Amino acid sequence: MPSQANCALPPGFQLDQYRIERQLSLGGFSIVYLARDAHGQAVAIKEYLPNSLALRKEGETEPQVSEEHRLAFRYGMKCFFEEGRSLAKLMHPNVVRVLNFFRANGTVYMVMQFERGRTLHDYIRKHRGEVKELLIRAVFARMLNGLREVHAHKLMHLDIKPSNIYLRNDGTPVLLDFGAARQTLMSDQPVLKPMYTPGYAAPEQYEKGAQIGPWTDIYSVGASLHACIVGSPPPRADERTQQDTLQPVVKTQAGRYSRQLLELTDWCLHLDPQQRPPSVYALQKALIHQDNAPERPEHWFSDLGSRLRSFIGRS
Amino acid sequence: MRFTIYQESRPGKRRDNQDRIAHCYSRDALLMLVADGMGGHLHGEVAAQIAVQRIAERFQAEARPLLPDPQLFLARAIERAHQAILDHALDHHFPEAPRTTLVACVIQRGAAYWAHAGDSRLYLLRRGHLVTRTRDHSRTQLMIDQGVIKAEEAHLHPGRNRIYSCLGGNFNPQVEYSPRTPLRDGDLLALCTDGVWGPIDDDGLVVNLTAGVLSQAVPRLLDISERKAGPTADNLSMVAMCWHDEHAVGAATVESISTRTMELDGFESRLDLSGTAPGATAEFDEDEIERAIREINAAIHKIDSRT
Repeated sequence: MPSQANCALPPGFQLDQYRIERQLSLGGFSIVYLARDAHGQAVAIKEYLPNSLALRKEGETEPQVSEEHRLAFRYGMKCFFEEGRSLAKLMHPNVVRVLNFFRANGTVYMVMQFERGRTLHDYIRKHRGEVKELLIRAVFARMLNGLREVHAHKLMHLDIKPSNIYLRNDGTPVLLDFGAARQTLMSDQPVLKPMYTPGYAAPEQYEKGAQIGPWTDIYSVGASLHACIVGSPPPRADERTQQDTLQPVVKTQAGRYSRQLLELTDWCLHLDPQQRPPSVYALQKALIHQDNAPERPEHWFSDLGSRLRSFIGRS
Repeated sequence: MRFTIYQESRPGKRRDNQDRIAHCYSRDALLMLVADGMGGHLHGEVAAQIAVQRIAERFQAEARPLLPDPQLFLARAIERAHQAILDHALDHHFPEAPRTTLVACVIQRGAAYWAHAGDSRLYLLRRGHLVTRTRDHSRTQLMIDQGVIKAEEAHLHPGRNRIYSCLGGNFNPQVEYSPRTPLRDGDLLALCTDGVWGPIDDDGLVVNLTAGVLSQAVPRLLDISERKAGPTADNLSMVAMCWHDEHAVGAATVESISTRTMELDGFESRLDLSGTAPGATAEFDEDEIERAIREINAAIHKIDSRT
């Protein structure tokens, strides 16, 4: 079935207790809106609307789901709930917060805290090739706090990439979009295929029957580090397993970043999960404790280091 | 309780899926069910559905959160399910009552209790080895027991599908009950229909089931059986559960479920009742949607109230 783009709900639309301001993003599985609640507070609302299964035409509110796709649509909805369930259990400054969950227009909606800022992806695009080491370390060390919280709840993210790491205006990161968590449940779905992002997905995510674990998220963290350093993700992991053309950044980027950061990135990107950092904590520790660091504003970094340490002490 | 569970049912190469499977748990008790409805024109799927649904309903009524007596529960619930199938046949003027196999397993206070009728099986695996499995109520099993044929020949015997005990039908089921069987950390219990065990031997089943996590091992095992069965592959269904000692360190996996934080009267259940739909394992009905939304909002507010 050709996937036609779904029409977003129009600005001004009253959706339950929220008024839609504008569309923020459109994905294959959902549409995200910026909206205001009854108190005028800004929220992000994610609408379950899989392109391949449901179609909302111009001017309509309720999407049409054909009889043949009805079961699959319901099944996908279940997966959408799984994401909600996962997030509802988490309360962490570096993980997006779910505020409400409701049904309307024949589909379901997840309301999340809206944060001002931009994605790391946008940041990299704007500063291609000149993302500062200090920023990388600060963002990733904090983002890993969020990821540790996720793993502590026996959940996995499985779709970590710069466009799912949101930077608030104060520079602190928020981990977004736990949509891929659903994908583990449906290895045999003909209609809703896993949507891994090429380049950021670990080799074991391409392989049917391979063991998925925290090491899978660690690979994606490495790929995101790679994107910050080089400006683009590494080659797709499934291609790498055939013929590995990835050049270690420790070779290609020597001198631009500290050797330790480059080694760390290569470490995460090992095809063999056993060769990667043994835990998110180990990776985080390495990100914070930089031995022979090169040029950097000493006072700021030491201050940052202690702040990050206090973060870790809390979780 | 802490455990990992995975279930899957697929039609194989058949047009309809007459298998029905389910699991459901309260804070302190877990129920797993597999039923294989018999005979295409004889409403086998109706019998399987009634059996699974009725027993799951009884479980939800009685496991609050513990069943007073698991063996008694199984005996009564199975008898009621059998009667319900007969009643349904009468009410709908079926020429004869539809039939289904059944294997049911209850776990509570760290021990398993199971019961079966027909040739759907339960396997208990410990440290990668088969500890026990149910013996089929089939002609071939009788012939093996009597030494008429060898176990290796059973899968070729023309009478291999003939079973002498089932729910529904004209005769009372001969249900076989297990003794109370204490579980150890890492024990694996698998309930399946003959579509799964038929095409492979016990060793193959054990090896494949213990390779990796259940959510991957079970689909892989089903793939193998389906492939081996060829163009006439029967419906394939399995519910598999890995038991985790609540206090064992390192046993926690990403997929495991802990019921410790469940409400006393809370239930989780999953019934695969519409096996024919491609990929979609269960109809997600209005009630379930409403319940999921309530649960998520309860979780959100639980966290909010902490702050």
